[in-house]
Amino acid sequence: MKKIKLSIMTLAIALSIGGAFATSPRVTQDCQGATQYYYNGSVYVLAGKQGIDYLCTTATTVCTYYKVGSTYVPCMNGSYCTSNCKTTTTPPKTKN
Amino acid sequence: MNKRQVVLESISALLIMLFLYASVSKFLDFQRFMGEMNNQPLPNSWTPFLVWTIPSLEIAISVALIFERTRMAGFIASLVLMTLFTIYAATILLHFFEYVPCSCGGVIRKLTWPQHLVFNLFFVGLSVTGIILQRRSSSKSIIITKNSFV
Repeated sequence: MKKIKLSIMTLAIALSIGGAFATSPRVTQDCQGATQYYYNGSVYVLAGKQGIDYLCTTATTVCTYYKVGSTYVPCMNGSYCTSNCKTTTTPPKTKN
Repeated sequence: MNKRQVVLESISALLIMLFLYASVSKFLDFQRFMGEMNNQPLPNSWTPFLVWTIPSLEIAISVALIFERTRMAGFIASLVLMTLFTIYAATILLHFFEYVPCSCGGVIRKLTWPQHLVFNLFFVGLSVTGIILQRRSSSKSIIITKNSFV
């Protein structure tokens, strides 16, 4: 009886973890290549060109997002800054 | 293994598959999950808390459902979580909020909101059935133990 129970549980665990890996999107593209948006507190707006229109200064927050379908996914880390930015840009963050 | 136990094991296995699949999918695509949480009609300051709490809870429920001693707690926790998700899906369908993207892991996110509601209700039903069967199973084993002393 315990063997049957163990088999059912092992199968359930293996199927769920295997299924999660099998259906996970393997996004290897650099998110920086996509159109960047920033969140202004209420809506997502076009961020413009990095280094020209804005900089991502050193901070632990999300600086810009990119769009996947209808969802805005975090891309660059830092603080969104358009003028008098004191620090340099953070390296681009890629999605695996 | 009697019929009731087979049903109980099957219900547990289905719930484990749901919660484990959803949580592992969220961790595998964590950035996207964070983005989706930010798009929910909840304060963005809750996101760092929710993105860790929800998948962790799902894993904890899965673990609780594996073992006989913690299975009842697992079924109750599963019922509570699935009821909350169902209420959330219902409020979206009733247009309490504007369009809200799904925050589920893996392929579940591809469901429409009405499909989501039916899907959630099915698992609410499974959790309720699990609680009833588990309670009957526990009381039966207590009677057997008592009779063995007579």
